[in-house]
Amino acid sequence: MREQTSGPPPDDPLQAAASAGVRTWRRPLALPRMRALPYLLVLPLMAVIAVLAVYPTALTFIDSLYHIDLLSPPQTFVGLQNYTDLFSDPDVATSWENTGLYVLFGVVLSTVLALIMALGLRDRFRGRAIMLAILILPWALPAVVEGVTWAWIYDPSFGVLNSLLHSLHVIQSYQLWISGNQVSSIFFIELVQVWQITPLSAVLILASLQTIPPELYEAARVDGATERFTLRSITLPLIRPGLSIAIVQAIVQSMNIFDQVYVLNGNALTGRSILMQTYLTAFANLNFGQGYALSFLVTIATVIVSVGILSFVYRTVEF
Amino acid sequence: MKASRILTCVVAAATVLMISLVGYGGSGAGNPIAHAASRPYAGQTVSALIAYPSPPASALQQFTKATGIKVKWTNVDWDSLQTKITAAMSAHVYFADVTDVDWSRVGQYHILKWFVPLNKYFSPGSLRSDMPQLSAFTVSGELVGMPFDSSYMVTTINTRDFARAGIKTMPKNFAQYNADLHKLQRSHVNAHPLGIPLAAQEGLSTYWYEVTGALGGQVLSSSLKPQFTSPRSAGYRALAWIVNAYKSGLVPKANIDMSDTDEMQSEMAHNKVSTLFSDYAGQISTIYDVPGTSTVVGQVHYVPTPGQSGTGPNLDNPDGIGIPTTAHHVGAAVEFIRWFTNPRNQARWAGYNGPKNVIVGFPLPSRVSSLNMLVRARKAAQGQELATLLKTRSRPVFPNGPPPNYAAFSAAVNTSIHQAALGSISVSQAIQRIAAAVHS
Repeated sequence: MREQTSGPPPDDPLQAAASAGVRTWRRPLALPRMRALPYLLVLPLMAVIAVLAVYPTALTFIDSLYHIDLLSPPQTFVGLQNYTDLFSDPDVATSWENTGLYVLFGVVLSTVLALIMALGLRDRFRGRAIMLAILILPWALPAVVEGVTWAWIYDPSFGVLNSLLHSLHVIQSYQLWISGNQVSSIFFIELVQVWQITPLSAVLILASLQTIPPELYEAARVDGATERFTLRSITLPLIRPGLSIAIVQAIVQSMNIFDQVYVLNGNALTGRSILMQTYLTAFANLNFGQGYALSFLVTIATVIVSVGILSFVYRTVEF
Repeated sequence: MKASRILTCVVAAATVLMISLVGYGGSGAGNPIAHAASRPYAGQTVSALIAYPSPPASALQQFTKATGIKVKWTNVDWDSLQTKITAAMSAHVYFADVTDVDWSRVGQYHILKWFVPLNKYFSPGSLRSDMPQLSAFTVSGELVGMPFDSSYMVTTINTRDFARAGIKTMPKNFAQYNADLHKLQRSHVNAHPLGIPLAAQEGLSTYWYEVTGALGGQVLSSSLKPQFTSPRSAGYRALAWIVNAYKSGLVPKANIDMSDTDEMQSEMAHNKVSTLFSDYAGQISTIYDVPGTSTVVGQVHYVPTPGQSGTGPNLDNPDGIGIPTTAHHVGAAVEFIRWFTNPRNQARWAGYNGPKNVIVGFPLPSRVSSLNMLVRARKAAQGQELATLLKTRSRPVFPNGPPPNYAAFSAAVNTSIHQAALGSISVSQAIQRIAAAVHS
């Protein structure tokens, strides 16, 4: 309850308000504080990112300018020599090419599948919670476990895939799914990763879907819009924030694919990813200078592709 | 006079003290001084980070009881461990007191001084006759690690399949072995009689070394120069033979994805193939003759490696243990290695004291004396043959130690052979790529 005061009102309105029992803030001081608050709130996160991402990246770049080969000391400054060496290495070129295919397959397949899953789970139905829980399971499994599991599925002698397709008369004889050629190897290896990353994409898209007001669909229905039109003109534009995050996470994951490649394809060049090449350069060849350079290039490539996709797909949506 | 009396008293007192100490020492374990002397590392904990299953807990407890040293054994997969060793040692940080020393990395470890030389704790000269594979861990006289099991490549044959194909005598040389493979195929006993793991991984590299050895050559010279670039060299012919074996269907089509020997042995155990030219010793009793894991019980036998002209060598592939230079408890680690590799325990890990005391998957003891104990106790299938092979035919892949850049070399080997088998590159291109890896 506001207190009543007697006497003439003071000249200072703040003082007057205070004397009237109203909690106030002194404007001249309040403005900077309000402006600083958002920055203060994100400061811990920025500090964590700076320590865990920016600082190591900067350090990686600095070290990439040195010749650091444990079997060929000493450590010397070589400028961009590591980068020029990498650009002329055919194995590195093949690994980049392979990684491009991993990203292409990974992003397209995971996004399309995630969208289908999210649309299927948008409306409430009996058992939806259980479906969601099952959906998220592959995401929770370690990539190596998935690699081993899928190695059995793809096994050319007794794998489930061959057995199933053979019994359905889709194939006449058992097939070699991995190692056959570059494109098929990458497709089938990436399929394992798609199986893993699609659940998270589906959840992200589902979250966006659930923010769309039902009135918009009702209005469209009243206007006689078809399902396809509704999807193209209402759903897809309004889930762009979620969609863009899903695509970016698919890019990051497929650009950094490693475990599945290692388990299913070993060192073979047919499916060697750029991260696998980085591992071989640094930990097998012990050429850490080139390893740092390659790591830095992978980081830069991931950021460029992700930012490009974000600027193309992401739009602020307000209802 | 007075001085001499004092001196006499001092000497007498010292003598009494000495005698009492000696007497005390004679009482053995009850003597705290002797006890402390025999347990100089009591209270320390040795962290063992090894890509191998732990010895039985009861055995480790016995070790702790005897020495006062506790052992914290962590079993990690081989690939992760190699990365861990490289990461930790290049950063000069502690990660374990004892760890795996892979024979293929010994050259690298020697150059980089990542492991404590064991020469002052063990005597390689006197151990060599009992531990023939010690040389796989020795570079320029430096003992980088101690072999804790014995493993070497052997040729295994399903004698029932060979008999069904009308092959009465086991192959005595490589040409005969090759002819027998085609006979097995032609007679429809086995459409794909030969097992080779053709995925681009270490197992394929090992296979090539073994075939090269059988054909009378070696991969690298003692000065680490390529010995396989000439089409007439053993290495070249071995590579061509592996590639042709796959292309001609002697090897199952699926083997192009087969990553390592485990899968190949499973193929053999299920009669998908009839012979492995480069198999691990000791697997008959642990895999092929075990009804639960095999459909060829009693059918698989070791044969002397069919070589260029007579019996070829059996290349070493043992596991070793060593002490990183960043270890915290070097003395305790030495005690542990001494205990882990002693003759009685080596026999024990292989089943000498019954199944409760074995280390799961332990192939064969690193010591001939331990293997002899198993043979006498009849605890190893074809143990006498294995003991003879270990003593007389096992050879290191690289007589003067592996090249320091072995990992890069091996990656080039298995990647190139894999690609040649797929037909992506020719045999001569594969050879050139491997040679380039040596030069780099």
